[in-house]
This record gives sequence, C-alpha cells and structure tokens, in this order.
Amino acid sequence: MKTFEEKFTAWVDGRLSGAQLAAFERELEAHPEALADKEAALDLGNLLRSNLPPAPLPNPDFFNHQVLLRIHATEAPAPSPARRPIFWTLPRMVFSGIFLLLLSTVFYFLAVPATRREVRQNQQYVTNILNARSDDPGITATSFHSKAENVDVLWLDGPAYIPPGHKLK
Amino acid sequence: MPLEGKPFNAPTAPPEHPASIEPALPDDSDLVARCQRGDTAAFDELVTRYRGKVYAMIYNMVHNEQDAWDLAQDGFLKAWKSIARFRGQSAFYTWLYRIMMNVTIDSLRRKQVGGETEFDDTIALSHIDPNSATTPRAVALPQDKIAGDEIRARIDAAVSRLTPEHRAVILMREIDGLEYQEIADALDCSIGTVMSRLFYARKKMQTMLRDVYENL
Repeated sequence: MKTFEEKFTAWVDGRLSGAQLAAFERELEAHPEALADKEAALDLGNLLRSNLPPAPLPNPDFFNHQVLLRIHATEAPAPSPARRPIFWTLPRMVFSGIFLLLLSTVFYFLAVPATRREVRQNQQYVTNILNARSDDPGITATSFHSKAENVDVLWLDGPAYIPPGHKLK
Repeated sequence: MPLEGKPFNAPTAPPEHPASIEPALPDDSDLVARCQRGDTAAFDELVTRYRGKVYAMIYNMVHNEQDAWDLAQDGFLKAWKSIARFRGQSAFYTWLYRIMMNVTIDSLRRKQVGGETEFDDTIALSHIDPNSATTPRAVALPQDKIAGDEIRARIDAAVSRLTPEHRAVILMREIDGLEYQEIADALDCSIGTVMSRLFYARKKMQTMLRDVYENL
C-alpha cells in the first residue's frame, strides 16, 4: 500500500494491523476529519447492504431455456456431406501447361530428324508457289521468295517475249 | 437442491444432511470439464447455480430488469464460448464474475458514449403524480415501504452517477462482500487500483447520500 487512499480504504475495512496501523494512525493526526469519514463510509456500507437486497431473477427456468437456445443457435453447424474436390485447380492447370510445353519440345527434337531441321534452316527459298496456267504447255511459271535477297521472284519458262501490255506491276 | 446465493468462495455447499441418500452434486470443476467436452446439460447446471447471484449483481449495476436479464444472458453465452480456454487457475465463479463484469461495464460505457442519460433523481418519486395510471406500487403500500422505495431510488441514482468501474468496486465490496483480491481478479486490475477506486467511490456516494444515512 503506497498511497493515502489505499491505506485509508484498508483502515476503513479493518485490514490494517500492527505496525501498519500504528503508522497510519500517526499519519491521520494531520487529518482530524478522518475518523468521521471512516464512520460515514461504514454507515454508507450499512445503508447499501440494507437497501439493496438481491433482485430475484424473474422466470429463472425460462432464463436457462433461453441461454441453451442461444448456445444451440450459435453452435457451428454440422459439416455438410463432403463434396468431390475439383481436380483442375489453378496450380494444377499451370503445372500441366508447363509440362505439356516441355513434352512437346522434347517430342519435337526427338521426332523430327536433325538433318531435316537443318535442311529447313538452310533452304534458300522459303515459298514455292506454282501457278502455271497457260494454253501453251511449253510455258511454265514459278513464284518463290528468296530468303537471301528478300525478294519475291516470278520465274517464267517458255515464252519468247512478253507483250508490252503484260508488264508486271 | 438450489445453490443460489452461496458465499463467493464456496462453489459447492456441503450437504446439509450427510447421512442423506441424496447423491452428491458435482462440483464446479467436474461440470466445467463436462462443458469443455461440449456437454450443454452440465452448463445448464452451472447456469442454475449462478444465475441468481449474477443477475442480482448486474441488476445493481444497471437498475433495469430487462437490461440485467439480457446482459446476464450475454455473459453466460460468452462463458460457454470461452469455457474451453478456462484452465481452472481461479474458481469458476471468479472467472464467470469477470466475464459478467466485462459485459456489464462495456454495456454501461456504450450507453455513456451513446449519450443515454443517466438516472436523474430530480424526476424521481417526488415528481410522479400519485393518482396517475403509472402510480408506483409503493404508494399503495405502508409508509415504511414508501420510505424504503425512496431510499432505494436515491441509492440507485447515486450509483448511476458513478463511473462503471467505481460502481463495480463498491457493489462488489459492499453488497457481494468480495475481498480486494477477488475484485482485482474480476476486474483484471491491481489490488491498489481496487482500493483507490473504492476510496473515491465511497467519497462520491457519501456526498450524494449523506442526508439519507444521517437521517435513518
């Protein structure tokens, strides 16, 4: 007990004894009104005890009933029957996508012979368009794209000359 | 055998007739253990044991039957939800008392913040028309009962003017007879705080009720 208030309360409630009581009573010599305050506090206690009887609980059985109803209402509901989990979750889809990409890459390198891949890479002409439509079977036309020169080439075989009105545009 | 109104530190009263064949009632710790396994019947028994004391304590704090009923209900519901965490470090009633006090003090604080007016004794019994349809029952009763009701109204008015914390300590000390340590446990504060609050609560009550207890 450190403060005057704490010691005064203990004194009123008869919780001081021995040296503590003697020391506090010496301290009280500076407070001549203390004894009257103590009497007033005791009178107040008696007044409260005699005029605040325990209020009876109305309808006590209904009180219990209502408490239990509220408990049952707030209890966690029983778990619902287990649903089948969804197989295609997002992580699984991402993983499957990456796996298929890797698989197709591996398949490509295994299934397509390396020589053919090189031929493709080294081919001079990427596109061959054969559009030979002529009354004269001796005339053919070939169109292709030259990778090296980056030009489209129209190759004509057969005609002796090109009429002036048929210039390429 | 009802146990309501037992002393604070005696959760289970000894049987009045030891030779009786009446089976011994389970003590609080047995009931708590059953509650922790989800046994609502055990909790029902605990509610029956303490509902009277809890309700009376809350009623003295709030001065309203319906509020006291609702707060006691809320407190018991909270106790049920938290009982799994009760480790038996204090008596069950001390633990329950703390829950009830928290619920009640929170409610009183909310009302203060919400601006609900405290009881005003300037409109107490003296301002009620004795012939009105809402005449207090006390008017029809003997003179001493009227005096008792007036005193009660004055006390209620004085208690209402205290802060929730001061109300709690003075009622727990003077009405329930709790020791400082028990009050400190219930309010989760130090004994020094309890004693200091008790000092100021008494001072305020003395100021408001001096004429009442000096004229008795």
